[in-house]
Amino acid sequence: MSVGQVRIRVPEKAKAGEVVTVRVLITHPQETLAFKDGKPVARQYNFLHRVEATYNGKKVFEAEMTQAVSQNPLVAFPIKVSEPGTVKVTFFETTGKTYSGEAQIRF
Amino acid sequence: MKRTRISRRQALRLIGAAGLAIGAVSFGTLLPTGVASAQALGMPQDEEKVADTMKRLFGGRTVQEAADRIKVDAPLIAENGAVVPIKVDAELPMNPDKYVKNIYIIADKNRRPLNARFALTPEAGKASIATNIRLAATSDVRVIAEMSDGALFGVTREVKVTVGGCGG
Repeated sequence: MSVGQVRIRVPEKAKAGEVVTVRVLITHPQETLAFKDGKPVARQYNFLHRVEATYNGKKVFEAEMTQAVSQNPLVAFPIKVSEPGTVKVTFFETTGKTYSGEAQIRF
Repeated sequence: MKRTRISRRQALRLIGAAGLAIGAVSFGTLLPTGVASAQALGMPQDEEKVADTMKRLFGGRTVQEAADRIKVDAPLIAENGAVVPIKVDAELPMNPDKYVKNIYIIADKNRRPLNARFALTPEAGKASIATNIRLAATSDVRVIAEMSDGALFGVTREVKVTVGGCGG
């Protein structure tokens, strides 16, 4: 599977005022520190350090991640929905790349 | 009547400055102090003791034990420290005037104890998150919820790790 593939799972149908759980999975190695003589090698490591979610363009969730988040990170978060819409999740890599995915929440 | 004249160049400069100011305000919204500053993105950071992490994140504020209000789903024994599923359900208010602002996951024996921080808004409806973390060794895992008014609620759970998962 290719790095940066974002998969989002939302309930098939939601009702107004319901709290839905959005589950997001991304394929990513989340590189860990390399050690030499007991000391971490000083170089830039490639991992996701931030994830942000918007619902209909409004920011609803944000998380800060470190290398202590497993590879192929899973993130689940709630949104209280009042209207159908699109949830967009964007991951930020330390190299500056971003990966995003979208899912529809239907009523 | 005398009018003050503004040249085209001055006008453009004013508009530009206003734009910058708006941008600066709308950015630093949800997350206050960063784990990694912009220059050091992805660079290894210094080892940290959990007491120092707590001090850095929360200053001197005390964390109230709240096992009755925060439910943490974590394995008792994690065979593989590289993938440890953690699920947090907090029964704390989520009203616009009082809500769970941040949920921190902190593993005491990791090289850098802060695993992740989740920033929530009242629109989330409830304070419930899940993720997979890495644990270097058998250690206490602290889940701390920070309220919008600064109150801290925490739960500590020990997770036994058979094979560490932080490299090195």
